[in-house]
Amino acid sequence: MASAQKITSSSTAEYFAKNLQQVGFSSQTKAVLTTVKESVDNALDACEEEGTLPEVWVEVEKIGAGSSKNSDAIRVTVEDNGPGLSIEDVPKVFGEYLASSKFGKGRCSRGQQGIGISACTTWAQLTSASGASVVTKTTNMRQAVQCVVEVDIKANKGVLKNKESVDWSERGKKSEPKKSGLKVSFEIDGRVQWGGEGGLLAYLNGTSLVNPHLTLHYKLPPQGDEKAEWVDVERVTDVVPEIPKATEPHPHTMKLGEFIAHSHLFGKVKTAAWLRKGFSRVSDQIITEVGKAPGCKPLMDKSVDALNEAEFKALYSAIQNAKFMAPSTKSVLAIGEDSLSKSINRLGKVDFFSVMSRKPTIADFKPMQVEVAIARREERGQEPDDPATILRFANRVPLQFDKSGCALYQAITSVNWRTYGLAQPKGSLPQGPYVIAISVVSPFIKFKNASKETVDASDELVEEIRRALIQAGQKLSRHIRKEAKEADVEEKLRHIEQFGPILVSTLCRILKAPKKREAAASAGLAKLLGRDAKVAEGELEEASKILAAATAKMDAAEAAAQKELAEAADPEEAAEVSRKHGAEEKKEAKKAAEKKKAEPDLAPVKAAKRNGAKADMAAAEKTAAKSKQASLFGGDELPPPAGKSGAKKTGKKPAPRIGRRK
Amino acid sequence: MRTAVQVDKISKEMCERLLHDLELAKRPVLRAIKTSLDNTKYDHKVGYLTPLGKKVETELNVSSVKKMSRAIFVLEILLRNLDSGNVANKREIYYVSKGEIKHNKELKPLDFADQNESDATIDFICELLEAYREDLNCYANDRGGQTYSQQLVVTETLPDGTKAEIDLSSLGTTPFQPRNRPQALKLRAKKKIEFCVIVESEGTANTLQANGFTKRNPCILMGAQGVPSNAVRGWAKLIQDELKIPMFFFGDLDAYTMQNIFRTLKAGSAASLIRNADFSAPDVKFLGVLPEDIAKYDLPDYSVKEHDVAEGRALKKAADALGNDPFFKDRRNRGLSAILDWLIANKRRCEQQAYWSVNPRDPQMPEKIIIEKIKKGNFV
Repeated sequence: MASAQKITSSSTAEYFAKNLQQVGFSSQTKAVLTTVKESVDNALDACEEEGTLPEVWVEVEKIGAGSSKNSDAIRVTVEDNGPGLSIEDVPKVFGEYLASSKFGKGRCSRGQQGIGISACTTWAQLTSASGASVVTKTTNMRQAVQCVVEVDIKANKGVLKNKESVDWSERGKKSEPKKSGLKVSFEIDGRVQWGGEGGLLAYLNGTSLVNPHLTLHYKLPPQGDEKAEWVDVERVTDVVPEIPKATEPHPHTMKLGEFIAHSHLFGKVKTAAWLRKGFSRVSDQIITEVGKAPGCKPLMDKSVDALNEAEFKALYSAIQNAKFMAPSTKSVLAIGEDSLSKSINRLGKVDFFSVMSRKPTIADFKPMQVEVAIARREERGQEPDDPATILRFANRVPLQFDKSGCALYQAITSVNWRTYGLAQPKGSLPQGPYVIAISVVSPFIKFKNASKETVDASDELVEEIRRALIQAGQKLSRHIRKEAKEADVEEKLRHIEQFGPILVSTLCRILKAPKKREAAASAGLAKLLGRDAKVAEGELEEASKILAAATAKMDAAEAAAQKELAEAADPEEAAEVSRKHGAEEKKEAKKAAEKKKAEPDLAPVKAAKRNGAKADMAAAEKTAAKSKQASLFGGDELPPPAGKSGAKKTGKKPAPRIGRRK
Repeated sequence: MRTAVQVDKISKEMCERLLHDLELAKRPVLRAIKTSLDNTKYDHKVGYLTPLGKKVETELNVSSVKKMSRAIFVLEILLRNLDSGNVANKREIYYVSKGEIKHNKELKPLDFADQNESDATIDFICELLEAYREDLNCYANDRGGQTYSQQLVVTETLPDGTKAEIDLSSLGTTPFQPRNRPQALKLRAKKKIEFCVIVESEGTANTLQANGFTKRNPCILMGAQGVPSNAVRGWAKLIQDELKIPMFFFGDLDAYTMQNIFRTLKAGSAASLIRNADFSAPDVKFLGVLPEDIAKYDLPDYSVKEHDVAEGRALKKAADALGNDPFFKDRRNRGLSAILDWLIANKRRCEQQAYWSVNPRDPQMPEKIIIEKIKKGNFV
């Protein structure tokens, strides 16, 4: 190194201030969206932490021309009814990077590292020379505190300015002081994008879909000559999701450096005790097994802070070679089929929908859960060959950019939707007025970048999502099949009206028959074909009844399953059951795939049978075969949700929910 | 073959039955002969494949009303042609139907998307009436094989009733190729005709003719154009029936020729069950190439390429034919089934042109072999 250049170090804040594009500020439109998104995410996380039903107000206003070229000055204000922040925490939350209450806790919270909201403050500071205006009140405060937070970029510290106490009343009730909450306002350069996948509306709609307990009020700048108005989206459930307790890390998910750093949190304790307390899935049996490894026995009774690097390495290797139970799935927080079913109507009017909530499982050695909702919009505004609308969610936050590299997108295109009656060009998204929403929740989602726009696609994750999609698709196909039958009846009726008179009149022309004969033959033909139409309508009615009965039966099975799951008190046991079912499921998937090759057309019926409505679905299939429609729908079939084989015995298998809205 | 009067009568009877059933609100049923191998029998005394009696029934219901309406609609057009004496091929019928629909909007639902649909409707009508489409004045652009003879005279009755006499010896190098109306032809031999040879390849037939085959031999020489068309089959049948001379087929030694060309010429096919009586020549013998000819004349042969889709399929079909085809199962045809057995066992094939290799400097050698085989009775 012959260079005489001076090596300097910079703060985290400096790094992010120079690289804001990495955290969602890569364009003017994304800047507005990211600011809204980070503020709302923080509000929701805060409410859920405290068990409060969240009510959030989002206001985006154009307040003039922006300082940079082709931009507007935008004010984003987000207010919540959460617990509020103490004034000491305000500069840390809004002005300091990597200051988070959630970092590495192993929970399914929206925010994780403590970067997003500080980046919003930095963007406001860089583009409009103003920080974040914050009003906060906790239940302990008599008055709310109003202040401005700025980021000290050199020191990576938040700086409070203009701090003052103010009266803050509940919205719409001026006489009633606000109990608690937080309001943050940013003035930034940006541009507002309403529609499209990356638009504000897509974010707000998506957020209300996966947060059924959220009441959202929003007001966006007017488009054209319209007047800006508040839009109210009421919550559809009063149940606040119970935040699962954080679990200790699993030893197999750590690298050596993390392993050593983890030990520093425990100070002077014996190594065996540290392993037992500091990690999940470490039993006495494991401790004994690890102790048998070369050089590890004496380490177990030694204090963990006295271990040297070589000893840590030996211990780490022994642990990596030991056989552990998979991590617990108790830490995942799902939306639930009930809530999704209610929430889906907030997307607009839908013809019918199907919702599928997979059991929590382990993918890439991390607990996770996949939920899928597919709905068909009643309004067919788009062209028939337009692709379906895709809504992606990770830990209940919409993902709106870079979809092609995302695991969720890849899973959708890997499914053969044609077998469920949807049009789909090869290897592409299905087409039509459908909305496909996929939610993945996990304490350890592997994002591709810091702005959390794309989930990294591992084979296990894509396969798990694919299964959920296939199951939801199977449910959907029943509705589409019924529609096809309706169309068939209509076609038959049309045939009667069209061809009957032609047949009779041509016969009469050939035979030079009198009008009287023509009238008699027409009447006879109408009688004959009318009987056929009645039979077809009867078949359709019968199929509808069977479908309704099957749906009711599956709902009942699902309710029973959920009850039993709720009763499963021991987390270890529940996780073990889940793991076991996961293994069985893989076997089933393999079997089903092999079987599918041999008899693909029967697959959906088999799936229906496994879903607990054996006799009903067999009857449905029989009716379908009668109408010669069965061949239309083959089966990209997979086994039912996790724990299929245990379903009959334990009833723990959650059956997919389907519904119809008119 | 049915006359125009017969076709008209049968059609109207069928229509009357349909209309009567409809008046009574009774579901009319149309019956057509099932044209498949499982409805086929072979009796050597009859000489060709005949139906066993199975019928395909089409009952009028919401699914079949479109098919029936279309059939009656096209039948009306065909009957009108018969009545006026006009003819039309399938493509012209397609356009006539298009024109009818264009001028009558009520017929719009019957419109054919393409000619395949109207062709299928015409075939359905033929099955219902058990008539050839030629009986309905719907002709294919099809002619009998190119024919040469120094002795044959053909008298043709033209549609206007006049007669034309064609002396084949006066045509020079031009072959005679009759239209597919064998009922309009009368044959006469001005001198004795000893035999007729039908050659699988029309090109080979032309070569034999150019080299003086019919000058040296009092015979009829005809090319079969590969798989024989109705016109070729009808023409061969006419020669057999009117002249009563020995008939021979000369073609390749392979499974396809045996099943698809020779069997069809001699006994008809399952697909044409209703027309085999008028379109097969049961007296035709298989002159060769015979398996023993390969050794006898040291003919170059070659192995069947089993990976070749067409050849592989023909061999598989040959195995099926031995088990299921009543023609090959008949003991009178055991010589022919023995050839199929040999082909399956040896997986060899030999082409008709291989005779040219026997003496490459003598272009008349193939003719000499053919004549020698006929004289010595070396045929099956």
